[in-house]
Amino acid sequence: MAGSTLSEIATPEITELAPLIVLLPMIAFAVILFLGRVFNGNPTWKNTVKEGGIIALGVMGAVLVLSLLLIADFIGSVQAGHDSVFHWFTSGVWDGTSAGVSTDKFGFGLYVDHITVMLLFVAAFLCLLINVFSIGYMNTDPINDNRNHRFYAEFTLFCSGMLGMVLADSFLWLFIFWEIMGLCSYLLIGFYYERPSAAYAAKKAFLTTRVGDVFLMIGLVMLWDLFGSLDYTVVFDSANIEHVAEHSAGTLQWALGLMFIGAVGKSAQFPLHVWLPDAMEGPTPVSALIHAATMVNAGLYLVARMFPFFGAEALHGDLADLAYIIAVVGGITAVMAAAIAFVQMDLKKVLAYSTMSQLAYIFTGLGCALYLANTLDWHHNEKDHYIVIVAFGAALFHLFNHAMAKGMLFMASGSVIHEVHHAHHHLHHHDDHGDGHGDDHHDEEFDAQSMENMGGLASKMPITATAMLVGSASIMGLPLIGGFWSKEGIIANAWRVAQDDPRFLLPAMCVLIGAGMTGFYMSRMWLKTFAGKPNNEVAAHVGPTNIWIKTPLFILTFVSLSSVFLAGMGFTHWAPDENYAFMQEKSLVDGIIYEMQHAFANSDAYFFIITYIAIAMGAVAGPGLAMALYGGKLEDGESAKPWMTPVISLNAWVMNRFNFDNSAFAESTLAVALQNRLYIDHYYDMAMVKIVAGLSNKVAQADSDVIDGTIKTIETGSQSLSTAVRSLTTGSARDYILMVAVGMLAIFMLVWGVA
Amino acid sequence: MQLVGFPVVAGIVLLAFVANAKKSAHEKLNNPIRMASFAFSLGLFAYTTAMFFDAFADITTSGLAFNDYKFQDSYEWFPALGIHWTVGLDALSFPMVWLTTFLLPVTIIATWHEKNGATYFPTLLLMGGALIGVFVSLDLFMFYVFWELTLIPMFFLILNWGGKDRKYASQKFFIYTFTASVVMLLGLVTLYLMQPEQIGAGGKYGTMTGRTFDIPTLVEHATAANQNGWFLGESMQKVLFVMLMLGFLVKLPAVPFHTWLPDAHVQAPTGGSMLLAGVMLKMGAYGMFRLPLSMFPHALQHFQLALMIFGMVSLVWGAIVCLGQTNLKKMVAYSSVSHMGVILIGIATMQPMGWAAALFMMFAHGIISPMLFAVCGAFKHHYHSMEIGAMRGMAKHSPWLATSMMFAWMASLGLPLLAGFVAELMMFIALWYFIDLQGWSVLWMVGPALVLALTAAYYLWSMQRTIFEGGDETQPPASLNGDVVPDITNEEKMAMLILAAFTILFGVMPWIGLDMMDDYCRTFFEHMISNGIFKGGA
Repeated sequence: MAGSTLSEIATPEITELAPLIVLLPMIAFAVILFLGRVFNGNPTWKNTVKEGGIIALGVMGAVLVLSLLLIADFIGSVQAGHDSVFHWFTSGVWDGTSAGVSTDKFGFGLYVDHITVMLLFVAAFLCLLINVFSIGYMNTDPINDNRNHRFYAEFTLFCSGMLGMVLADSFLWLFIFWEIMGLCSYLLIGFYYERPSAAYAAKKAFLTTRVGDVFLMIGLVMLWDLFGSLDYTVVFDSANIEHVAEHSAGTLQWALGLMFIGAVGKSAQFPLHVWLPDAMEGPTPVSALIHAATMVNAGLYLVARMFPFFGAEALHGDLADLAYIIAVVGGITAVMAAAIAFVQMDLKKVLAYSTMSQLAYIFTGLGCALYLANTLDWHHNEKDHYIVIVAFGAALFHLFNHAMAKGMLFMASGSVIHEVHHAHHHLHHHDDHGDGHGDDHHDEEFDAQSMENMGGLASKMPITATAMLVGSASIMGLPLIGGFWSKEGIIANAWRVAQDDPRFLLPAMCVLIGAGMTGFYMSRMWLKTFAGKPNNEVAAHVGPTNIWIKTPLFILTFVSLSSVFLAGMGFTHWAPDENYAFMQEKSLVDGIIYEMQHAFANSDAYFFIITYIAIAMGAVAGPGLAMALYGGKLEDGESAKPWMTPVISLNAWVMNRFNFDNSAFAESTLAVALQNRLYIDHYYDMAMVKIVAGLSNKVAQADSDVIDGTIKTIETGSQSLSTAVRSLTTGSARDYILMVAVGMLAIFMLVWGVA
Repeated sequence: MQLVGFPVVAGIVLLAFVANAKKSAHEKLNNPIRMASFAFSLGLFAYTTAMFFDAFADITTSGLAFNDYKFQDSYEWFPALGIHWTVGLDALSFPMVWLTTFLLPVTIIATWHEKNGATYFPTLLLMGGALIGVFVSLDLFMFYVFWELTLIPMFFLILNWGGKDRKYASQKFFIYTFTASVVMLLGLVTLYLMQPEQIGAGGKYGTMTGRTFDIPTLVEHATAANQNGWFLGESMQKVLFVMLMLGFLVKLPAVPFHTWLPDAHVQAPTGGSMLLAGVMLKMGAYGMFRLPLSMFPHALQHFQLALMIFGMVSLVWGAIVCLGQTNLKKMVAYSSVSHMGVILIGIATMQPMGWAAALFMMFAHGIISPMLFAVCGAFKHHYHSMEIGAMRGMAKHSPWLATSMMFAWMASLGLPLLAGFVAELMMFIALWYFIDLQGWSVLWMVGPALVLALTAAYYLWSMQRTIFEGGDETQPPASLNGDVVPDITNEEKMAMLILAAFTILFGVMPWIGLDMMDDYCRTFFEHMISNGIFKGGA
């Protein structure tokens, strides 16, 4: 078996170039910002350098190469690599005994293990692809002229933050880069600063995540107290964990639980999810990169990083409640977000809620994996070992699949919006020239993101439509494509845990129902956009898109389609384990055959049934219902590419056969509530206005009336007193200073006298 | 010592020069006086920076014992009373001195076009000299003289260059803080009188009184006495602690003694605000470390919880009041109150890390808050209004000012890799360590920690209504009467860039300042612990 040789291989060293992965984009940030200031408006800067886009592209290319070198060293490695980069500061605490003051060092370093490898690839790869997309998207829109350098600067700073978070060797630096990402998210959501809605959304995103960050920080501080450090090498050390487990397992659960609240905020889970849909105010590349593919994974990454605590023998069973909470938050969000996605008309908002829902799947998956790791005897029992690794692997693999598919979906939606907008612009210019609104990107009456203005685009934008189809299929979990492999794993594991612990029936039920809901809203989105007849004249005039936009779509379509090979290579049991590591267990063909058998012909009847229910809901019931309601034949004379024709024909057939009137539902209280996002945002806003703003006004009033009022009373009191001795006072401050001097002298004399 | 003498003398000479000149000639003098002041302040800055590399850069390796000072210098002043001109620097005072000399040239640059420059710039120098005097004094008498001396230039800065209500604000500022320092003075005098008489002891002891104002001698004496009981007796130590702390709490300021600050800030000119928030407030925290904490450690342990409550109330109250402000400068002023709460909490944790957090917060806030006020000043200067919401869409009209504002606001709300974050992080670690030692519930953490979100809320909300919004037809504020909206001047840009650069420098490389502060706190605690003054179970 390959494992025996693996354990003899020494841990690879982290190359000295690795810090450049974080540093290069950070330098690019400053360079682009500076050059942009200097050369703004210069034709070379604008057309050749693409206002900084080419610089960013070069840096992201270099970053991807460096990342791949690092990944090549560490993929399949059993041991984690660690390398200190610099010392940050030293401080100490006094434990109240006569032992003196401790010496605690805070530093920065790099830490690479299997989770890092996965996330690093996702981040570096998508940063590059979305950078390519941005050049096609941002630089062809006149509204962005002369401010694209700001976009690329903030974009590169974000990439630096994401890569830094993934590579950091401590929870402290994870938090630092986490906040840097939050800043970039804020800046980029508010990119169109002049729009009040963008300004509002930016603030909302920063503040909502900040609430989570507050708890994350408390959690980190508590964790520091327990371990005397936040470095992974210290806190993941089994001897240290054992020591902590002896008397403070409860505190540790609190600390991790508070950190989880930070993850809830960053990954937009209920109840801190409200910022993500509004964040779609940002330019579409931002939505694709930050709010779908990378930053929102930070919360998942944080929870995944907690695995060594849950998996520790010393803490056996102590953290099970927290694992349950993680799974439940995921389950609730998965269903809630999917339900709200049912009624969204805005293309990007559907995707935003879908992101929320899929991240929730991963949370459920992680919660179940952590529960299994915490309750099973996986260190000694081979079967339990396998269960834990597969459960954790499914969650990580879904993270990977979702990032790829959702990044692609957002780029495809951007491509659609871009072209719809251009078509509108084109028409508008011809219809009523002289009206002066020709170059108004955001005029009120036309919404380029609304699916009301689309329909039947499959024939006009073949690559985009294909990408969107594959991406949707991946998210829905259509057999063999993309997310299918990981989503089935998450659902099966949730039900596995539910067997052990009936509390888990709730999240297990949620993810199962959610699969059907995903099938419905993703199909609805695709059908409303690409199938049927154009909804209006604008949609009829949409043209194909440019090469910068097409290339990343093409690449990501390919990645999503080849997911089956990734599954065969061992992505479904991604673990630092000599028996299950990357490409170690079996050959690619064996791997694929094994995964196929496992998915479609599971020998355990329980999982066999669960799998087919999930497939039936996600791939048949959900899309079927959507087909009955939306889409239809393309315009006569238009035809889609051959691989999309069956989908559209099936859609037309289902629509004819099973069409029904859903207006009763559309007017129901539930639908209205869903349209209003279940009123959660509304109540949050009310709480902000009524409680926080109201309280702060009261307190500010009290500050000037009561506290300063007391001082003023003393003032006026002493003033009226001084009326009696007015002969001494001139009312001039200069005289008072003289008196001060005299007074000081008097006191001085007094001292002298007493002495 | 040259550090104190030079700016004060230079300020007075320049002022005297101007006063001698005819009123009509003042306009012509503006530029030469400004250049002279600027060159002088740059020289001072170079001097303290050289001192850093000379003595403080490697302090963790060279070390500095408790109550030990570098660059110590002493001259007899009133030997009969035990008053000496004694100066010296340690890791507590040096960062403050460096900060003062750093802020002087930056303030001059930021307010390059201030009216009546011929008298304004020398006044700034005077201010700087007085502030340095406070930090380098190692003699109670001298300390008090400089403590009060700082009031005078600041008073004139507000009175002569301030806003509409400058008369009221300057008087309130002066009388309020002066009243508090009178209490402090009483405490100092009592301390002087209560110390055991040692006539003929020589050294720093007065030949006539047998008592001394010398701080190192007093601290040494206090340490010896505190080992076996309370220096000056239990009740006297407590009373003196309260009296001194009262003076320092007003200066800091802590809620509820803070209401002079917003009035003073709103009316003060930009340069005055920058020095006031940047350095003058820190005199309060500095005084705490130098006197009551060093001499009355037993009383400190006794009043630890009271201090903690002052700190928490300041932190939370300041932040909530900020959210209710409509005036930009007032909001920033209250944010200072909130941040000073961080310093108090840091001290009250009685942890080396908490103290280092307080020291670093003093330093970081000393760089960030001048930038906050420089932004406010530029805002007022260009838009003739301080109301939040009077001007929207600033990013379009004044991208430099908008960028500076966002940077300063982000730094102040504790964004990582900017100077303020490290201090806040250390404060929270120390606070939790304290809470855990006390056996309190985690809920005690939630209040102070939620202030992080509140701080973000008021800063972001104000940015939403200034930098952002405005739509396509962004209008300049009504206060401009349709004038073209300018961006900030080149001098203001320069000042912002310098402040931003140093905020990043100390955010990314905090060890430059933090290593010596850590050394100070570590030495302090180890000294107190090894002498049995700080005992377990506190």
